[in-house]
Formats: sequence, structure tokens, C-alpha cells
Amino acid sequence: MSAVLRVRDLRVHLESRRSRFELAVDSLDLVSGEVLAVLGANGAGKTTLLRALAGLVPVDAGRIERTAAGPVTLVFQRPIAFSGTVAHNVRVALIGARLPRGERDARVAEALGRFGIATLAERSATRLSGGELRRLALARAFALRPSVLLLDEPFDDLDAAAQRSLGLDLRRAIEQTDAAVGVVTHDLRQAVSLADRIAVLAAGRLLQVGRTADVLAAPVDAVAARTVGMRNLVPGTLRGGAVVVDGDHRVHVHTGLPDGSAVWLGLRPEHVKLDVGRGTTAPIGKGVVRRIASDGVLTQVTLEWAGHELETHLLSGRGLARTLRAGDGVVLSVAADDAHVMPRDEG
Amino acid sequence: MTELTPALLLAITGRTLLVSFCALVAAVGIGVPVGIWLGARTFRGRSGVIAIVNSGMGAPPVVVGLGVALLLWRTGPLGTLEMMYTPQAMVLGQILIALPLVVGITLAAVAALDESWDLQVRTLGVPGLSRIWLLLREIRQGLLAAVIAALGGILSEVGAVMMVGGNIAGETRVLTTAIMMRTRMGDFEAAIGLAAVLLGLMFVLAAVLTVVQQGGRR
Repeated sequence: MSAVLRVRDLRVHLESRRSRFELAVDSLDLVSGEVLAVLGANGAGKTTLLRALAGLVPVDAGRIERTAAGPVTLVFQRPIAFSGTVAHNVRVALIGARLPRGERDARVAEALGRFGIATLAERSATRLSGGELRRLALARAFALRPSVLLLDEPFDDLDAAAQRSLGLDLRRAIEQTDAAVGVVTHDLRQAVSLADRIAVLAAGRLLQVGRTADVLAAPVDAVAARTVGMRNLVPGTLRGGAVVVDGDHRVHVHTGLPDGSAVWLGLRPEHVKLDVGRGTTAPIGKGVVRRIASDGVLTQVTLEWAGHELETHLLSGRGLARTLRAGDGVVLSVAADDAHVMPRDEG
Repeated sequence: MTELTPALLLAITGRTLLVSFCALVAAVGIGVPVGIWLGARTFRGRSGVIAIVNSGMGAPPVVVGLGVALLLWRTGPLGTLEMMYTPQAMVLGQILIALPLVVGITLAAVAALDESWDLQVRTLGVPGLSRIWLLLREIRQGLLAAVIAALGGILSEVGAVMMVGGNIAGETRVLTTAIMMRTRMGDFEAAIGLAAVLLGLMFVLAAVLTVVQQGGRR
């Protein structure tokens, strides 16, 4: 698959009376048939990046090259509904395509069907619910058959069930096109389930781009780590193939960084294993349970280990999740392959 | 005193409609694009321009009439056009009365749209002319309100048309100036007849526009 949108040395300055913001992206490609999720905290510049890619904000330097002929379209975080029917709203997107009436109507019907709103075709678009409007906006964008499809927080303000069902429809729709898709979201789960690649943005800078699994396992720094859900970040020093934390706690790691380096030890919650009172293959020492909270599916356990808080997950209603109490002592273990090391600036 | 014959009434009504129609078309033709531009753009001094438009919406017609009279007076800057006491002068006065209403209501309708409206339409690849059509369609409730307000202002206005038209029989006499004159002369019967025609006109035109406006609500 080839890059249909190439960003090189992009600089965008936004200035208002109250604030100043700079977006700097040195290199980013959107590839046909692939989904790129852009992750970042509020104010990281995700929406500005999408708007720049869509040609909606002036670029101060660098270039955005398009190599495909099809349209580039962006679905906004708060999509608008034109007065008129739902079908009219999709037809609007096809005005520029100048299709014969029959073909146009077929495309409208196909797009509405794809997002499960065919029965709403003759309903007034301004009276749709938030979830229905989101589906309409996606149907409108897909009807255009874009070469680049950009989605700004497509799941924002939807409840969990609506998010799941829209996520399924969106995935199916994406699979049926060869558009390059760029999706901005703060929802890590949706990003992981949709994306082939992840880009991490922080304070207007692109920190990292890579295959989803690679970025999740090996974020480049602590900011990227927090953004991709590596919630346990512990400062330590590298000595003899292990990160030494708080003097006497050692966690074995695989890293190319030199001995004596100040590092962050990054552990995804699912990689911190618990075993009450019993040793495991790669023990890292004892911890004490501080808090336990369950959402019915996962039980989140917060522990104190080596003077730091660590988070881990257990499946609710099974094994340890049923018996563990705050104050319990547990032995923690981490596999060396799951422990990620990032350089730490001591300044 | 000339009797108000049906032929005379018809002539006055016809002239009223013609003058008002010309003024309305010009005010809408100028005011809608200006209102859209003001509603959609941000620039330094925009608030000041909008404040002028808003105060213009309540400008006393006699003051507008005075301004037009000063312009068109023989010694005024446009005196050589010899437009004073002509229907054209009345149209000019009425345009100036209706224009702030059209601009003000149109810009409010545009400003009420989502901030990103234009960007979202552009990202759907809708070409330029179709974008304008879509925008007009979207704000049509506001546009019709602007037309109704402008029509009301124009049809009921008497101060300016009296000053710059002069109420000359057969030339610049319209329903409002004729009502004023007949009342001054004590011919209440004719004044009431003229007033009934004016009210009837206003009602019919407003009703038609309202039906159009409400029909468009979906």
C-alpha cells in the first residue's frame, strides 16, 4: 500500500488574543487501506493536525502532498446537520461529484445502510439524537468515497453501548474501502481496536509513529508512555541488566542503554502480575494493596511497591479478584520482555 | 378637495407597491450579502460595524429623510441628479431605512450557525455556488424574517417619503402620505379607506411570507 498523503516538515502557527500554539510534524504518512490513530492529551494539537491535513488551516511551512485523486474529507467532532431529511444531508456531499440521479441515490442508500440509519432516510436531520447524527456524518463522509478520510473524535459524547456499536460499524466500513483513514481520539481502546498504526502527539510535537503493537509496547518517552496507557512509570537506574528502584528493588529488562543510565521503568498494568505470598518466575519484590476498584469486568488494583504506586488489572469475579483486600501483602512479578525502559532526563 | 375615486386609489396603491418593491429588492440585494459577510467574518472593528447596523435598525425615518434630502437638495452633493421630489428619491430613502434591518437580521442568522459550518461544508467538497445555495437554504427562516421586517419598515414609513417625495399628486403620492394628507384635511372617510388598503396589503404580503417561512420548517 502506498502513502496517499505525505506530510514533511509541517509547521502551523495558531495565534489568538489569549494563546499561541505551534504544531510541528516532521514526517507523517497516511497510507491507503490503513488506519492511523492520533493519540494525545487535550490541547496536544490533534484537531489542528487533522484540519491541516484536510487543508482547512493555513500551513506556515513544510508541505502536505496528496498522491491520490479522490477527495480528502474530515468528519468534525461536532458534525452539523443541514435542514432537510437525512437522505438530503448525504446528497449534499455528492453535489460536487455530479453523479446521475440513479447512481447518486444508490450511493446515498448504501451509505445510510452501512451505518444502520437507512430507516431514518426521510427523517428530519435536525431532530436526530447525538448518536444518529454521528452516524449520519460518517455516512456522508463515506458516500464521498474519499481517498483520505479524517475523523475527529468519532466516539465523543456517546455512551458505552453506542460507542461499541458505532465502533463495529466503523471498522466494517473502513474494511470495505481503501481510503487512508486518520482518526483522532482520546479513547485508547477505540484507537487500538481501529488502528494499524498509532501517532502520539504532545504539545504540538509528534513524539512517535509506529505499528500499534510496537507503540503500545515501546513508547519513546514518559509522555508517550502515559498517552498509550503505560500507566506505571517508575524512576530508576540501570545496573547489570536490571532497573534498580529505591536502592534494593531490581527489575530485569532488555535494553541497549548503557549501565548507570537514569531511566523510566514503564509497565503496562496488565503486565504486573500478582501472587499472594508465593514466588513466581520473575519476582520483583513485595507490594501492599492500597486500593481495589471493579467495573464489573476488570478489577483495578493499586499497590505500593518500592515507595511507588503501581496499577494492575485482574478479571473481576475470579481468583484473586474475589479474595484480595486492601492491606494485603502480595509478591509482584514482571517478565523482562514486558518491562520497558526509557531514558530519563535528570535535569 | 379631490374625491378618492377607485381609479385614484388604484394609482396610489400601484405606486406604493412599485416604490416599495424597488426599495425591498435593492435592500435585500445589498443587505443579504453584506449580512452574510459580516456574520461569517471576523475582523478588527467588526463589533463597531455591527453596533452601527443595530442602531440603524432603529433609526427614525425622518432623520433618514433629512439625510437623503441633504444629499439630493439642489446645492447638495447629488443635487445635479435632480432626484429630489421623485419616486427615485423615495426609493433611496426606503432602501436606507430597510438596509440595516436586512443586514442585522441576516448577520444574526449566519452567526447562529455552527462556528465550523463553512469548514464542514468545504470538507464535503461542495463547490462555491452550491455552498452559497446551501447557506441561503440554511438561514432561510432568518432571511424571510429580514424580508418581512424590511417590508414592514418600507410600507409603513411616512417621514422619509414625505420629506424627499413631497407627496405630489400623480407623482410621489403613496398610501402613507395620502393618509396623512387626508387626515389633515379632515377627510377621515378617505383616510380610513386608504389605511384599510395599506393594512390589507401589509397583512396579505406578511401572510404569504409567513406561510413560506413556516412551510420551510422541518
